[in-house]
Amino acid sequence: MSYEDWFREDRLPHIYCAGCGNGTIINCTLAAIDQMGWKKEETVFVSGIGCSSRAPGYILTDSLHTTHGRALAFATGVKLANPDLNVVVFTGDGDLAAIGGNHFIHACRRNIDLTVVCMNNQIYGMTGGQGSPTTPRGRLSSTTPYGAAETPFDLCELATAAGANYVARWTSYHVRELEKAVKVGLVTPGFSFIEALVQCPTAFGRRNKFRQVIDHVEYLKVHSLLKAKRDRMLENHEQIPEDMYVVGELTRRDRPAMGVKR
Amino acid sequence: MKLAIDENRCKGCNLCTKVCPYKIFKEGKKLNRKGIVVPELDRPERCANCRLRNLYGRQLCGVCQLTCPDQAIHWIEEEPYEPHKVAIEY
Repeated sequence: MSYEDWFREDRLPHIYCAGCGNGTIINCTLAAIDQMGWKKEETVFVSGIGCSSRAPGYILTDSLHTTHGRALAFATGVKLANPDLNVVVFTGDGDLAAIGGNHFIHACRRNIDLTVVCMNNQIYGMTGGQGSPTTPRGRLSSTTPYGAAETPFDLCELATAAGANYVARWTSYHVRELEKAVKVGLVTPGFSFIEALVQCPTAFGRRNKFRQVIDHVEYLKVHSLLKAKRDRMLENHEQIPEDMYVVGELTRRDRPAMGVKR
Repeated sequence: MKLAIDENRCKGCNLCTKVCPYKIFKEGKKLNRKGIVVPELDRPERCANCRLRNLYGRQLCGVCQLTCPDQAIHWIEEEPYEPHKVAIEY
């Protein structure tokens, strides 16, 4: 059995734009879930609203497509009502960081046994490319035509501060690493948060000089800094460039969790 | 095993041309029935998974399949006695 058996074949090809990274993240997540040996009847995918949140519609399990930003609130309910289910949440940055920010920090605080895969494309892709809380400084979007002036959210730092058990960040270029990170997140009891930076060629790349999909993926690859290297640079008192994303396993700890399988 | 691109699913983003360590995928030139330029395969017999999957009994490499956002890349079993091309790399 391979992870391709988890797809709803009749629903494919999906409606994501050509080159959208969300499909890659679905592949990686399903590959990790397939290695866990879970039954399809005992796995639930929950999502909110957005491009990324269409993902459960292409997966052959029970799924819940909920209101904007409330994916984690619904997932909390599913998990606490029946802790034997394996709950995976697909969410985007507009869903998780903007409207669902409060649900996010409180799910982290309660440390519920969920795995959250956040496809962070740094923009509101579905509604026409408005700036989101994770749009980097100076990036153009339809609501920030002179460049985003605000400092973006670092979702991994936020999850760590709020108390998640496992936090990792990878990009859509690092597929094998992402697959392993999702697997560790699925095994870890308690809240595991995996942020995946993805390219958005239609809304983000078009306005930010990434003419080809490959250019944006190359940018993500070049601008990712491994955590081990970041720590080494901090030890040597070197300056860390501001536009680099720290990737790798950022947090792993063993705080008391809620809703763990009996 | 041989490599195959599903033309119904491929949207022509050419991400596979970037990630394959053997550079098997090349940008295509012809439009297909749906008006999409599907990548071409350049000597696909070099693919590690095609050659060694049955020998090792597990998935090798497979980065193109994981990266493909449209789930268009997969491997199919060859028919019995299908002629093989052997690539020798020096």
